[in-house]
Amino acid sequence: MIVLGSRKPVTEQMASEAVAKTFEEIKQALRVTGISLNFRTYAAYERFFPLMWAAMRPNVETRAFEEAADRLREEAVHAAAGMERLSVLARAQLGESQAFQAENALLLYHYLNPKLLIFQAALARALEQDTPEPRAGKAAGSAELIERGAPARMPPMEMVEEPADDPVVRRTLRDIRHTLSLEETHSDYRTLALWPRYLSAAWQRMKPIVKTDGYDTACVRLGEAARRLAQTLPHPIELSRELVGREGEDADALLADTKRFETALPGLILNVSLLVLDWQAPELARRSPFPAKARSRTEAL
Amino acid sequence: MHWRQFQELQKVAEVGDRFISYVEAGEGPVVVLLHGAPTWGYLFHRLLPILERRYRVLVPDLPGYGFSDRSDRFSRCAHRQAERLCAFLQSIGVERASFIGHDLGAAIALRLAVYHPERVERLALVDAAAYDCWPPPFLHELGHPSAFKRWTPAAISKRLAKSLAPGFVKPEPDLLAGLLAPYSTEIGALSLVRDCAALDCSETMELVPFLPTLQAPSLVLWGEQDVLQPLDAGRRLAWESARSRLSVLPGAGHFSVLEQPAEAAAPLTQFLETPLQALLGRSPASPAAGPL
Repeated sequence: MIVLGSRKPVTEQMASEAVAKTFEEIKQALRVTGISLNFRTYAAYERFFPLMWAAMRPNVETRAFEEAADRLREEAVHAAAGMERLSVLARAQLGESQAFQAENALLLYHYLNPKLLIFQAALARALEQDTPEPRAGKAAGSAELIERGAPARMPPMEMVEEPADDPVVRRTLRDIRHTLSLEETHSDYRTLALWPRYLSAAWQRMKPIVKTDGYDTACVRLGEAARRLAQTLPHPIELSRELVGREGEDADALLADTKRFETALPGLILNVSLLVLDWQAPELARRSPFPAKARSRTEAL
Repeated sequence: MHWRQFQELQKVAEVGDRFISYVEAGEGPVVVLLHGAPTWGYLFHRLLPILERRYRVLVPDLPGYGFSDRSDRFSRCAHRQAERLCAFLQSIGVERASFIGHDLGAAIALRLAVYHPERVERLALVDAAAYDCWPPPFLHELGHPSAFKRWTPAAISKRLAKSLAPGFVKPEPDLLAGLLAPYSTEIGALSLVRDCAALDCSETMELVPFLPTLQAPSLVLWGEQDVLQPLDAGRRLAWESARSRLSVLPGAGHFSVLEQPAEAAAPLTQFLETPLQALLGRSPASPAAGPL
């Protein structure tokens, strides 16, 4: 799970003009409606943030990146399908519209989290190098560009403000942070907190599972797969400790933050997969909820 | 009823790429309750139990408001809201209905009556956004592009609560909190800013020439002490609209349907139960209304 460093994450609302512009670029390239905690945290490193995005963006926009995330999602659903079913939906007794919205919110994270893990794995690898790593030969992944912008049916990335007004939500989020040793609650949980009974029921069912060996093993495998898949990305990443240091940023702190996100994401991917299986059969949940078309010629311009 | 209990009652209808959350209760002729800005269906939670005894009542949250779709890729202006409302009703098999609209909801219902008269059987306009006397300054200010940068969601909620409180005769903090609950998150607040940016009185001024030829009979219901929408606008609306009558609720404010549901329900149910033929025979200018 994600533990933050010393920098306070920058919200979309409070972002400077330059940061807001990069946030918008990230949303367009990642095809999502909101900015997740990792990017909000990097935005607090003012000189690193644009450098990082310039180095990562060429890969993020490719078919190879999308397909790498698709493979992680498949693997996560496969692992989740082998675990005990949570049946949270039945326990939480959501209204029809609430259930519709909770499902769509889960699908947003089901789409996004594997992409974030590929991103973090590639970034961590770059930040571990003193100088940019030369690409040996041609990478396996496709450099085809995919369409930009969030899919029409993707919901906004809504989440409760912290500290939450609802005492039950406050208690549950506190327990999640305590159990998972978090300094701050990750977006996924804050989104699920929009439906307090659902969050409580989900956490009650997930809490014993996250402590099992089978869950740990699945997380480790996802992390390893992400590192492997990150190496199939087609473009070299022009980023290293030396470049970060030259910009006057703390490469050690950034690598620590990056690794914390990289370590946290397999668990988040697995948790969302477990919850999605309440709504979808494994065969459907394995597929991308928002498949990407190739970028059109006009879009490429 | 706590706002969360009302939220749990909401069903969902997909209309194109957007979705609408709505409450449906009762059986009988269809009555659609339309909330205004910046509220949501919860506004009617005390009126609903009275009406559902005799009617099939539908209470949608307008897209951009409450717990309906709040993404950033659709227009929130009144004429688009009216079009989406038609599509929503069609999606659940409702061809024609009576409408009770409050504030902005009344402006949208009036647009339907003007441009889609075949869909409107009766029209009740409650403390309506009408002519050019809306939006109130605080919603106008909230619609400025810089609003979302200037204020946090908590600050927006605080300002809204302060600005809406005069609309109540006796402000109840829980009711006010319930009305504003959907706008307490960053996305909720941002959606409300977009909603407010789309509030445009030219969309009600455009309807004025059509008022004397309205086909649906209408009831203009106004709180005597409404400080958010002036009673004079209600008088003028009833005077200028064909087949219309004015009913003023003594001692009521802008939110009579929430604060005095029984008192508000009395003229509304009387209006809904009067034979249509009797209402259609009414002369365009009701003596009760009088010119401004």
